[in-house]
Amino acid sequence: MSEELLEEFEDEQDTQKGMFMTFQMGEECYGIAVTFVQEIVGIQPITAVPEIEDYIKGLINIRGKIIPVIDVRVRFKQEPFEYTDRTCIIVINVKSTIIGLIVDKIAGVITVDEREIILPPSLSQSGSVSSKYVFGLAKVDDEVKLLLDPERLIRDEDIAAFGEAVPSTEVSAEA
Amino acid sequence: MGEDFNTDSMLDMFLYESEQLLETLENVVLEKKDEDCFDEASINEIFRAMHTIKGSSGIMMYENITKVSHKLEDVFYYLRESHPENVPHLELVDHVLEVSDFINGELDKIREGETPDGDESKIVDEIDKFLTRIKTGIEKKGDELPPENTYVEPEQFYIAPTGSESSKYYKISIYWRSDTQMCNIRAYTAVYSIKEIVEDMQYIPEDIITNEASSEVILAEGFHMLVKCQATEEELISTIGETSGMDHVEINDCTKQEFEMGFHHQEDAHIVIDLDEKEKASEEKKEKKEPTPGDYVIKNKESGKSKKLAKNQPKQQPKQTYISVNVEKLDSLMDMIGELVISEAVVLQNPDLKVPGLDLTNFQKAAGQLSKITTELQDVIMSMRMMSLTNTFQKMNRIVFDVSRKLGKDIELEVIGENTEVDKNIIEHISDPLMHLIRNSVDHGIESKEDRIAAGKDPKGKITLEAKNEGGKVYIIVRDDGKGLNKQALYEKAKNNGLIGNRAMSEFTEKEIYQFITYAGFSTKEQVTEYSGRGVGMDVVVKNIQSVGGNLEIDSMEGAGSEMTLKIPLTLAIINGIVMQVGNSTFVIETNAVKEFVRIRRDMLVKEPDGEEYIMLRNECYPFIRLNQRYHLEESKTDIEDGIVVVLEHESKFICVFIDELIAEQEIVVKPIPSYIRKVQGLSGCTQLGDGSIALILDIAGLIAGEERK
Repeated sequence: MSEELLEEFEDEQDTQKGMFMTFQMGEECYGIAVTFVQEIVGIQPITAVPEIEDYIKGLINIRGKIIPVIDVRVRFKQEPFEYTDRTCIIVINVKSTIIGLIVDKIAGVITVDEREIILPPSLSQSGSVSSKYVFGLAKVDDEVKLLLDPERLIRDEDIAAFGEAVPSTEVSAEA
Repeated sequence: MGEDFNTDSMLDMFLYESEQLLETLENVVLEKKDEDCFDEASINEIFRAMHTIKGSSGIMMYENITKVSHKLEDVFYYLRESHPENVPHLELVDHVLEVSDFINGELDKIREGETPDGDESKIVDEIDKFLTRIKTGIEKKGDELPPENTYVEPEQFYIAPTGSESSKYYKISIYWRSDTQMCNIRAYTAVYSIKEIVEDMQYIPEDIITNEASSEVILAEGFHMLVKCQATEEELISTIGETSGMDHVEINDCTKQEFEMGFHHQEDAHIVIDLDEKEKASEEKKEKKEPTPGDYVIKNKESGKSKKLAKNQPKQQPKQTYISVNVEKLDSLMDMIGELVISEAVVLQNPDLKVPGLDLTNFQKAAGQLSKITTELQDVIMSMRMMSLTNTFQKMNRIVFDVSRKLGKDIELEVIGENTEVDKNIIEHISDPLMHLIRNSVDHGIESKEDRIAAGKDPKGKITLEAKNEGGKVYIIVRDDGKGLNKQALYEKAKNNGLIGNRAMSEFTEKEIYQFITYAGFSTKEQVTEYSGRGVGMDVVVKNIQSVGGNLEIDSMEGAGSEMTLKIPLTLAIINGIVMQVGNSTFVIETNAVKEFVRIRRDMLVKEPDGEEYIMLRNECYPFIRLNQRYHLEESKTDIEDGIVVVLEHESKFICVFIDELIAEQEIVVKPIPSYIRKVQGLSGCTQLGDGSIALILDIAGLIAGEERK
């Protein structure tokens, strides 16, 4: 399934605007802009690296490229889950950092009109952990998709010196 | 001449060629810098290099390069022709290097896509003065001066049919009937058709294409051409003869001199088509020489020589057997080959082949062939990345020369083992550190002449730059016989700068004290000079070296000199490693670091009350770490007698590491751990094994450092 989707993307490089790859994580459905998505691979053996953050599961080898993988559930401080055949790794490329996201299962691709994206209610800032990685909500077929900002997702907010300065919008959102 | 040049490829060619020439030039100059004068071969070499650069920069319209190289060519032309004595050699060397620097700078600008706008006049003036000086030194001997190479008018270069000595010269005049229209066009047609068979030609009126009025002139006075060609009169007539409306054609033999004078005596303006520049230049010289009375025989001989030289020139240009390739491409090729090797394993060990009863004879044959090719491919890509240190070392030669001259020190650089090969990436990283070390040696290490004499040393300082291959590492040693490092001064300085706290000097070993100079913000030189002593040097040097997995050792003897040893790995990319298993994780240790594998009995393990463990091996006590505890690995062996202990050595420090089992020794391709994962102490990289799984590479230095910190 994943390969078919991938081919579809490659054909539609120009029309990727507003398209989101959605995936299931527990009860929620999340979306990530397809422009970031490089490919989707099935779960594969992960080499653990000692002494690193718990949500970084380790390294995988995709055709000779060694890529770190993040367990998104652990990242959201949710209960870890057993990896099954349906578990997928979404390989994303965020500003040349290539990272794999381990997700429960891929849901599909949706197109969201930019104007229909609702900013997350300010209440949620103090609420669930995942909300700080969510930049907007989209309602598709009566189902709410949480749209993720991949940059915030992979950036470690605990380490101040990590990468370049945090964009000011992020600061205000988290303040 | 309307010829459209493909300037892009020409530019590349020009840059490449000029660079090569300048490199050879610098080498020649530096080789001879300590002698009294250039020998004939080097003079010719430099002359040729300058001549070629002059020519090609002229084609490319880089006027300042042309002027500078022309000036220097003049100097060497003079040297070659007159063999003057008492030429201030060092000054000459300076001039040559200055020119080479100038041109290099301009080439850099061109490469960046900028206009080469450097001001050449200063250099040209200086060389002019220099030339005058060496000339006046000899003038009293009479008019032995060779004519100056005065061909300075902006030269025009054309692609001309090759000329030869057997050429004949004709004057052709064409007259048209008085009722002929557009004579200028007809004349041009004649010129055009004749161009095919002549080597060189001139004609009047010269503006036949642009000026329609010239038609009248041609009608009245005829159209005159001077040609140089191999063809006979008949051939010329038949070639021109096709032009219609022609009244008659006159062809007369003429001499070379007449040809060269062109239409000067008739009219001021003339234009030259198809002119072989070299031919003309040398002929002009000759022409000027011939009428000069009192010439010595030697001159004629020499003008012949210059012709020979021009002919030999193409042969002597180094053949380009190299092409430069972007390193990125090499890297990606290497990645691809890595992937190829893995896919090969996937195919050859495919479970589908394990079906019983399959006849695999042919498959195995083909597979064997495939494996052979992939192995060779790997070797080739590795060797492509290896480069000898020759170029890097030659640059150092230049630095020693420049800096020592500016500081007024007399220093000799000895280079040993420059053919040692190192991975290209590493060379890029060590070039700057090396330069810095050399500068330091010249500036701080070697004393001034007076001090050296006072100390009873040879007034000429000596720096040795040595490279050698030892135990999978490359050693690059910079040794000087200068004043060495003063431990006391180093210690005090470090203390005053707050780098070491309040520890007493006795707490440090000699080598540790020397290492102070690599600390950030440390500089013992009281006065900062142009070349070193800003105190931002050595720590950067060390950082650079460490970034390629190397380190810097410093040794010194006060009064006798110091020695800086860079130890760098041969290649970053492939190492021989021992693959081992701890729990579910696979680790790799560089084979060179492994001293031995031992099975340990429980009684050899010493446990301190605080939990720290040591191993007593042959009456020596070694620090001991359990990898499973260190990295919190589960499902691994805990009983010391079940597993294996690896004794590792790094810079004469030992450490014992407890692992579950050994798997294999193999060549591994080192890949960095993605930067997204923050640095873990004790891990230096990762690699993929034959089955596609990933193993982590242990960094012995990191492990030892981690252990010491406890």
